[in-house]
Amino acid sequence: MDLKEILESIGGAGNAVNTAAALGLGTAGLALAEKGYSDLGDIGERAYAGLAGEGGLAEQLRGMLEFQPYTVTSATGGQFGMTQDPTTGQMTYQMATSPEEQALQQQTLANAGMFFNQAAMPVDQREQDIFQRMRTAMSPEEERQRLEMEQRMAAQGRLGVRTAQFGGTPEQLALAKAQEEARNTAMLNAMQFAGQEQQRQAQLGSGMLASGYVPQAQLLAALQPGMTAAERQRQSLSEQAGAYGQTYASGLQGLLSSALGQANIAGGVGGNITRAALGGLFG
Amino acid sequence: MAQEIKSITLVAPAFKGINTEDSPLAQDPSFAESADNAVIDKRGRIAARKGLSVLTTDKTELGTGNLRAIKEFRDNLGNTKIFSVGNNKILSGTTVLADETPGSYTITSDNWKIVNFNDNVYFFQRGYEPLVYNNTGGAVVKLSTVAGAAGVVAAMYGNEVLAAYGRLWTADFTTDKSTVYWSDLLIGHDWTGGTSGSINLSKVWPDGFDEIVALSAHNNLLIIFGKHSIVVYEGADSPATMRLVDTIAGVGCVDRDTVQYTGTDVLFLSQTGLRSFGRTVQEKSMPMSSLSGTITTDIIRLIRETGEIFRSVYHPEESFYLITFTNQAITFCFDVRGTLENGAYRVTRWPGTGFTCYGRKDNGDLLIGSRFGIGQYTGYKDNSLSYRFKYFSPELTFGDASKLKFLKRLRPTLVGGSGANAIFTWSYDFGTLFSSAEVGIRSQGRSDFNLSEYPVYSELSGYGISSTGDVDIGEVVVVNKFLGDFTSAPTIGSGGGALLEGDSYFDTAADIFYVYISSAFVDLDTLVPASVGEFSDGELVSRNAINANGSGSTITIGLEADINGHELSIQDINVLALIGKTL
Repeated sequence: MDLKEILESIGGAGNAVNTAAALGLGTAGLALAEKGYSDLGDIGERAYAGLAGEGGLAEQLRGMLEFQPYTVTSATGGQFGMTQDPTTGQMTYQMATSPEEQALQQQTLANAGMFFNQAAMPVDQREQDIFQRMRTAMSPEEERQRLEMEQRMAAQGRLGVRTAQFGGTPEQLALAKAQEEARNTAMLNAMQFAGQEQQRQAQLGSGMLASGYVPQAQLLAALQPGMTAAERQRQSLSEQAGAYGQTYASGLQGLLSSALGQANIAGGVGGNITRAALGGLFG
Repeated sequence: MAQEIKSITLVAPAFKGINTEDSPLAQDPSFAESADNAVIDKRGRIAARKGLSVLTTDKTELGTGNLRAIKEFRDNLGNTKIFSVGNNKILSGTTVLADETPGSYTITSDNWKIVNFNDNVYFFQRGYEPLVYNNTGGAVVKLSTVAGAAGVVAAMYGNEVLAAYGRLWTADFTTDKSTVYWSDLLIGHDWTGGTSGSINLSKVWPDGFDEIVALSAHNNLLIIFGKHSIVVYEGADSPATMRLVDTIAGVGCVDRDTVQYTGTDVLFLSQTGLRSFGRTVQEKSMPMSSLSGTITTDIIRLIRETGEIFRSVYHPEESFYLITFTNQAITFCFDVRGTLENGAYRVTRWPGTGFTCYGRKDNGDLLIGSRFGIGQYTGYKDNSLSYRFKYFSPELTFGDASKLKFLKRLRPTLVGGSGANAIFTWSYDFGTLFSSAEVGIRSQGRSDFNLSEYPVYSELSGYGISSTGDVDIGEVVVVNKFLGDFTSAPTIGSGGGALLEGDSYFDTAADIFYVYISSAFVDLDTLVPASVGEFSDGELVSRNAINANGSGSTITIGLEADINGHELSIQDINVLALIGKTL
């Protein structure tokens, strides 16, 4: 609502000038008031332009707060980089471990694959292999026991004893039973060991697999401080932009306040003149 | 110049038995150069052996063959049965030999060994399925046909079998000479089950190789005799754990049938003579202490005879061990009462007896097998025939072999020999041409040496009349009913009464003893005593002097006599000799 309309509201439609004139000095006052009023509009315009207009605070802040590409390099040489396509604005991050880490990773992953392959193999052959190794370890002692038994039997003249009850002599049966039990135990142990070994290989594969990703994980872990630092930087920039904006806004606020004050003064003076000029008119 | 007649008494000559090993000149006169059909009697004198009283009256099944083994079967119920083998048959009985050979069982050899075991009697021979008999079955059957029989296969058809430690043990097979098999405990027909088993000795022989010949059990030991070595196992009551305790190299056993268990030791014939297992173990085969050390050369020569069949027996009642070389018809009699200074038994020789096997009955009777069947070692006739007792001294030097001796007189002291003719012989200087003189020994009369008898006549015993006298010479006195000597039959009985049954008199004209039986006088010789009891009623001692002749530096004295129903022993021989110049 402009002043005219206001005056028409006061003096009726089409009567603003009349009203103003009627008011005598009221018109000057009103003009002054209108100027103050207009100044307030200018001030708003200026505030808008200063804050959101071209080259205004918002634009400046946008420039200040734009993404800053960064790269993090770990202590072992791994790198993580974050870039933005200047054209499309698409964000791209790149992560690369060091050649040594890559080699280690490849090795461990290969090992993991090997262990997993081994774990996936049928265990019967492995059982047989383990059993054979156990038998190889046991055989010398068994041979010593056999020879000892043979010597004892020979000394006792009993090498040729064959019985329906024991097959040979009771001692020979006991030794054979012991050796057979040891053989059976070895076989069961081989089966158990092969199963355990299969589990262990799976575990090793898992471990190796996990180890294969350790450089990457460590690189990612190493990103944290870098990202923190970038965040800090971003925060700093943000704070800086904030402070700039705040300061800018404060300045603008001051300017607007000053202009508002001026407008208020002009308005007040105009009002008072008007009230004084029109006081009799309405009084 | 008159020379002194030297009197030398050979006391109990030859009581040390034969000695053919030492130099004749250096020999003790107590040895004999020859002692045939002799034994060392209970008083230490050389005496005639007992004879063979044949029990068999029907030997049809034996035919012309010889018995090769005798065994008395006994079981826990007291059942007994005499088994023998011969003419490729299993025979039983003593008076009548019955064929017990199982049907469809062909035998071509009689080299059986028979043992009693757990109420059964088992027959083993190499290459033949073992046979078994028990009183329940009542027949000899093949071992494999016994219910529960197991493992009765050709591999265990052994030549040797031993019943000991609750089992049967067998060895010496056709193709396997190193393995001993044992049966299950107390089951003689189970050779594969229970606690049965075997042991192969091929790696045990002390000399690296040997062949099992015989088995024996003694002092919880299992003694395995090889041909040239012996191995001994202890703990044979548990054969699976029995262990070797001794081996003896160089001494073996020549034949299964020479091994005899004496209760305290085991006797066996080795390649070098008779051995004692106990002493062999102690001495570890030292050859100098053979029990046949006085006849080593003779016995080795006999052992080396190819295909010889050996038979032996230990007879504690007579205290001798007999070893017979049946093919060579020689038996050596070893007196086991004691040993000589060199450790040998006193030994005598029984040539040509025809004894082919022995068996001792549980009551102590010694059964003897021959072509006549089964006989008993008793009496002094061989199947009713006489046999010759022979003694020859070694060369006697009377202390100085360098001086000439003129044998003047022999005065032997002979005990027994009633009615026999003793032929004394002598020769000089190792000569084989003997001078001889015959001495008739008087008949003993009523009291024979160790042979007075109580013949029991069934015809008289029915009247409650006993009798005594020597049956063989017809001298019987009917006690309390003897009417006296008459030249013809008396008509009045004792005390002037009527003749009673059992009255007797001696017809001095006819030299016949008559007994009144069934209202008539009967020649006692026509009666057969049902049994004959004996008692000791003094000894017949003869001391006939014989004039001798000739001269020489050494003298051999001999005595030969046909033993025909009476024992004869030499107590001593007194020799009167004129000692002449030094040669």
